[in-house]
Amino acid sequence: MSSIETQFIPKSQHPIVEAIKAFRQSWAGMLGLILLLLVILFSVAGPFIYAVDPFEIIWAPLTAPGVVANAPFGTDHLGRDVLAGLVYGGQATLFVGLTAGFLTITIGILVGAMAGYYGGGVDEILMRITEFFQVLPALLFAMVLVTLFTPSIYVVSAAIGIVSWPTTARLTRAEFLRIKNLEYVKAAQSIGARDNRIIWRVVLPNSLAPLIVSATLTIGVAILFEAGLSYLGLGDPNAFSWGMMIGAGREYILDAWWLVTLPGIMIFLTVLGFSLIGDGLNDAFNPRLRER
Amino acid sequence: MKTLTSVIAATAIAALTATGIVSAEPKSGGTLIMGTTQKARHLNPAVQSGIATAVPGTQIFATPLRFDENWKAQPYLAESWSTSEDGKSITLNLRKNATFHDGKPITSEDVAFSLETVKQNHPFKSMFAPVVSVDTPDAHTAVLNFDKAHPAAFLAMSGALLPIIPKHVYGDGQNAKTHPANSKPVGSGPFKFVEFKQGEHIILEKYENYFIEGRPYLDKIIIKNYKDSTSATLAMDKGEINFLPFMSATRDIARLKKNKDLAVTNKGYEAVGPLNWLALNTSNQYLKDKRVRQAIGYSIDRNFIVNALHGGLSKLATGPVAPGSPYYAADVNKFDLDLDKAKSLLDEAGFKAGADGKRFSLKVDYIPGPSEMQKNVAEYLKPQLKKVGINVELRAAPDFPTWAKRVGGHDFDMSMDIVFNWGDPVIGVHRTYTCGNIRKGVIWSNTQSYCNEKVDGLLTMAASEQDQAKRISLYQDVQKIIVDDAPQIFLNTLPYHTAYSNKIGNAPLTIWGSMAPMDNVYIK
Repeated sequence: MSSIETQFIPKSQHPIVEAIKAFRQSWAGMLGLILLLLVILFSVAGPFIYAVDPFEIIWAPLTAPGVVANAPFGTDHLGRDVLAGLVYGGQATLFVGLTAGFLTITIGILVGAMAGYYGGGVDEILMRITEFFQVLPALLFAMVLVTLFTPSIYVVSAAIGIVSWPTTARLTRAEFLRIKNLEYVKAAQSIGARDNRIIWRVVLPNSLAPLIVSATLTIGVAILFEAGLSYLGLGDPNAFSWGMMIGAGREYILDAWWLVTLPGIMIFLTVLGFSLIGDGLNDAFNPRLRER
Repeated sequence: MKTLTSVIAATAIAALTATGIVSAEPKSGGTLIMGTTQKARHLNPAVQSGIATAVPGTQIFATPLRFDENWKAQPYLAESWSTSEDGKSITLNLRKNATFHDGKPITSEDVAFSLETVKQNHPFKSMFAPVVSVDTPDAHTAVLNFDKAHPAAFLAMSGALLPIIPKHVYGDGQNAKTHPANSKPVGSGPFKFVEFKQGEHIILEKYENYFIEGRPYLDKIIIKNYKDSTSATLAMDKGEINFLPFMSATRDIARLKKNKDLAVTNKGYEAVGPLNWLALNTSNQYLKDKRVRQAIGYSIDRNFIVNALHGGLSKLATGPVAPGSPYYAADVNKFDLDLDKAKSLLDEAGFKAGADGKRFSLKVDYIPGPSEMQKNVAEYLKPQLKKVGINVELRAAPDFPTWAKRVGGHDFDMSMDIVFNWGDPVIGVHRTYTCGNIRKGVIWSNTQSYCNEKVDGLLTMAASEQDQAKRISLYQDVQKIIVDDAPQIFLNTLPYHTAYSNKIGNAPLTIWGSMAPMDNVYIK
């Protein structure tokens, strides 16, 4: 870009454009994005490229990786192809991560926004409920929820969402408390805008930055949570997820390292991807960091 | 000196080789330390079934009879016995020197009382259902009177099934199921109770006035609880314990088999007869057709389950009676893998494959917990039955009561299940097949809702057939019908194994294994 041209560009751009620019300069964020894109590519395109039924028994149980050509990553305790499991497991894992993450964010923002904006009695009641959920041991509570219903990937997603929202709610509430007394909110109120409009169109957009960062991290946590539940035997036995593979492989860990290690690496890469993106977004949205 | 020793050694070896006896004479002393993962609720097998109570219970309490490794009844508390011509009564002649651990004599009154207590409180109702009365003509003679011949009574008087409990302790009017003495028992067997810390350990000690002279050899038996099979296995491998029965995880068994200081055997589980099967709910819209059930049988490769999934440590099960029992029937439909036959049976039944190859869907339940026998096999069914067009969905249960409620409540299509024979077919086999035992809400009853009048008739006849050869032949006939009707697909026996230190002599390997008195076990 020549220096003459830059003079014609207005000094202040839309904040989103600024953020994207800053994000692209974030080393962590870009690495995270690349990792995540690779994981998504693996999980979405993988099944078309490597079209092996993950449920089909193809070779002797517990065959090590590299021993037979048709099971390059080895076979599991039933003789099913581990690579096929990894390829198909990605979709369920990402599904649980995204659904649970979405649920967490939605409930968190709804509760936090109401509590923060209205304050008073509404705040009291909503925050007590939030605290109630926060003091419950999350894993134990999720186990109870999954136990009450039949373990399936929907129930697991819902359970993770239900136990994880309080943090987001508190974050949203804090942001709303900070912003609701700023001049532009007062201005909106003074021209008679309704609460609904102020909450969703005025306050929320201005508190989005920390929430987006939190959301990316939430997805990573949800994926780990699913792995934890599956490890404890509370996963959906009809779906392949990386967590399920670890849970099933744990009994054979002394004899078949690949059953736990390979899906473990996939989960690690995915969660790392989400965390790095969160880091990058944090840099991008934080004007003080951006100036440096 | 050195030469002398080797000469003696050489002579000794020569002598041993000549006589063929290598084991030394049993000697007194020593402690048997047993590992277990089972938590006993209490120690009175008269009112509680299950391994956890049976193992200590059979050391503390004596039974009228015991069985050897050839399924032959042997004298125990009864030194002899006789059956009346019509089979409707059995007379037991008790030992005259037998005493309870508090020193009071064991009499026929106690036998009558124990039998009544078991009849009233034990879950295996069929054991003593035909008993109408127990006569006690003198202190050492008990006569069991039945309303029909009841040959199953012999096995029901052994193992953990008829412990002789003291009337002067348990007969005080308190409920036998919750009697305080259940956790602090006054016994009649070779070992007396010392301490019971639930979930931690049970300590038993030699009873000096035991009715068999010179026995038991062991000074002490300690039963230690471990939280899972792996930690018990490690304890055995390291020599912290010297006896580990009821191992069922094949990887643990394989691990201990490599240890040269240990013996590992699958003997001692013949009477338990633990079967792993796929139960089919015969009131299901698809499974009510026998051809569909048979098609499922032909679709499953049992050799794969036994050899690939269980490392060859379990055994093929082919019918309602476990292999190793005299009543086992080998000549039945074996359902060898035949996918084409399965497909044509499904076609005949009217369930043609759709354009996508699918015929219909079935759910399969399984017992939660160790997955090798249950979940892994259920997982195997999914791709396997897909080959014949049956879509299988696994239904996980978060805990045992949930599974038991579903299967007991007939709310299932197919379920993996584990059921024990418990010695005589009357005790552990009839319950699964008689029309009268379709009892909603009761697990391990006839949960398949299977009813065949011919089977009912044959089972009734076999139950009171006194001639052993005829009885065996009746059970052979009935098994042929049951297997062909396929209310279950029989898969395998549990790979129960016992590991014990080479220092243990006369390891308990009769048909009841460690659920029998260890009064002749000794430490070398």
